[in-house]
Amino acid sequence: MIDLKFNQVSKKYNIRANGDSPKRWYGRGFPGRKKPGQMWALRNVSFQVNEGEALGIVGHNGAGKTTILKILSGITTPTAGEITIRGRLVALVEVSSGFHPELTGVENVYLHGAMLGMRRSEIRQKLDSIIEFSGVGRYIEVPVKRYSSGMFVRLGFAIAAHLDPDILLLDEVLAVGDAAFQAKCLERIAELRKDGRTMVFISHDLAAVYRLCDRALLLSHGSILSDGPPRQVIDEYQQMTFADQGMSANEESDTAIPARCTSISFSAPESPEGIRTGHPLVARLAYKASKNIPDAVFRVSIYWPSGYLCAQLTTESLSGGLQLEHGTGIVEFQCPTLPVVPGLYRVDLAIESKGLEIDVRQRCATLRVEPGKIAYGDFLIENTWKITETLPPPHL
Amino acid sequence: MAHPTTWETSTGLARTPARPVKVIHPPAFSIGTISIGLRTLVQYSDLLYTLSLFRLSVRYKQSALGWTWAALQPLALMGIYTIIFTRITTVRTGGVPYPVFVFSALLPWIFFSSTISSAVNGLVLHPNLLTKMYFPREIIPLSYMVASLADFCIASTILGGLMVYYQVPLTWHLLYAIPIVVILVGFAAAIALFFSAVQVRFRDVGLAMPFLLQVWMFTVPVVYSLQSVPQRFRSLYLLDPVAGLIEGFRLVVIHGAAPDFRTMALSGAVTIVSLPLAYAFFKSSESTMADLI
Repeated sequence: MIDLKFNQVSKKYNIRANGDSPKRWYGRGFPGRKKPGQMWALRNVSFQVNEGEALGIVGHNGAGKTTILKILSGITTPTAGEITIRGRLVALVEVSSGFHPELTGVENVYLHGAMLGMRRSEIRQKLDSIIEFSGVGRYIEVPVKRYSSGMFVRLGFAIAAHLDPDILLLDEVLAVGDAAFQAKCLERIAELRKDGRTMVFISHDLAAVYRLCDRALLLSHGSILSDGPPRQVIDEYQQMTFADQGMSANEESDTAIPARCTSISFSAPESPEGIRTGHPLVARLAYKASKNIPDAVFRVSIYWPSGYLCAQLTTESLSGGLQLEHGTGIVEFQCPTLPVVPGLYRVDLAIESKGLEIDVRQRCATLRVEPGKIAYGDFLIENTWKITETLPPPHL
Repeated sequence: MAHPTTWETSTGLARTPARPVKVIHPPAFSIGTISIGLRTLVQYSDLLYTLSLFRLSVRYKQSALGWTWAALQPLALMGIYTIIFTRITTVRTGGVPYPVFVFSALLPWIFFSSTISSAVNGLVLHPNLLTKMYFPREIIPLSYMVASLADFCIASTILGGLMVYYQVPLTWHLLYAIPIVVILVGFAAAIALFFSAVQVRFRDVGLAMPFLLQVWMFTVPVVYSLQSVPQRFRSLYLLDPVAGLIEGFRLVVIHGAAPDFRTMALSGAVTIVSLPLAYAFFKSSESTMADLI
């Protein structure tokens, strides 16, 4: 069964400084003045989501992700096209935006719940559970203007988590609350997924899209560029993002820099299929030094798609750095097993001398890791296993 | 081994045998939007109730006098007009003491004007709600109207007290007040819906409204009676449903007479035509409110 269907949907926004102007009532304005701009946030977008499927939507800011969400939740309507929604749809977008600051927590639960389409009887029935989930405790009788921002958002999510949606829309909501609360939210989402609810997830957190979704869409400038398995779509998105960066970043200020990185290459010895999880990796970093560099350190930083540092290959050691001679050379890093899971990683290069950076190349390369040894989560933990201490079944 | 997709589908169907199917189209002005709109409004009726309730509680939160304010405003106006229209100049009241005479008309007028002035700004005061969440937008202006109606009920008890004090007799004609108030509510809703939708686009409405309401008050029989209006202007004067309804309200409550049925029919007809039109207009502009606000 198809739960969601976008059929040739387009959305146009008029961009004007002060909203809609009555000028068109009495004339075209002054001659030579530009006509109000138009922006197509979505252009002929068609896709469908099957029942029980989790679809992730990725893309740069302004690609049209939020517009899709707004159209789906009914906040705005398309300029052209048709959308079919089968079932109760709930959007978890800025979960506490309906709160009234003067009202207490309980009053806001009733108000916000009603805005999300819940009946008063339904809210009354779930009230205790909502309060418990939010962890707001005795502050529930206090006006929410006295709440901390964390409490505010937690209460909002708690209400939304008690809805019973057929289709769930999520927009970066996982970035709320502390670690414990986030775990609770993920648990609730996993529960809904297990129950076969359909989900549309919009996020910049590519790792989360990879973890939560069965399928992903890549949007760019209001059109769908790619539609397929999350890994493939995320790779494509990252390639699009990194395409405009390269090694030429600092080329001009050559003379001012005593040493620089000139290239990086990754290779996999003994593996024709490329670099794979759990297999050896060799990284070769070429450099050029215009004078002798004392106490030098090379770094190859490998970043997650989300932008966090995943791991680093470095020549740094407790006994101090290298004495780098004037000239060119190659630093070769040998890794017997590459422990990171498959994906496309971003690579930064750096040379330091006496703890100060002399050359930094940000996002200058990518590292593509193909599936190799079976690994779940973030890293492969090398291990051996055996079954020990077996006992015969007990006699009853 | 069972295919996981099959399993998920079967539990999904067991949970909700018939799911509602919603189709979203580009917006268009049509009378057909009224029935769809009303159906959605019924689904969200609990929100209208909750929002109106909290509208009232928020209004009087952190105020020392609280609910007394609902009665204070008409009482203060009554005092001022009584001084002006009994000491400085006089108007014909048909033998009724002026305070009761003016208070009985101030009640419906304050209901009408406070509904319009608060509802018109209602939508633009909540840009966050409009751009982040969906619910039928008419609930916002309508909730202000319900709150004004509650104030009307509170102030009505004061009117009862005044009538006892000035020994104005009650008659069965008082019951006519119910249909009169119903028509007035309908007309206030039409005006509130129309102007609040326009206000999202053109803020001029909100700026002009206080002035417009002030002028409007003197074009309806609040401080004077319909008898003071020259006969040849009356039919034109009564084209405004508010004028007819306020005069009718005063007639049935303090004069103990039956209302003029021709005037009531005219006011009712204007309301029956304008309310669906205003609602259809509101629903058709609703879809772009989030983009324009």
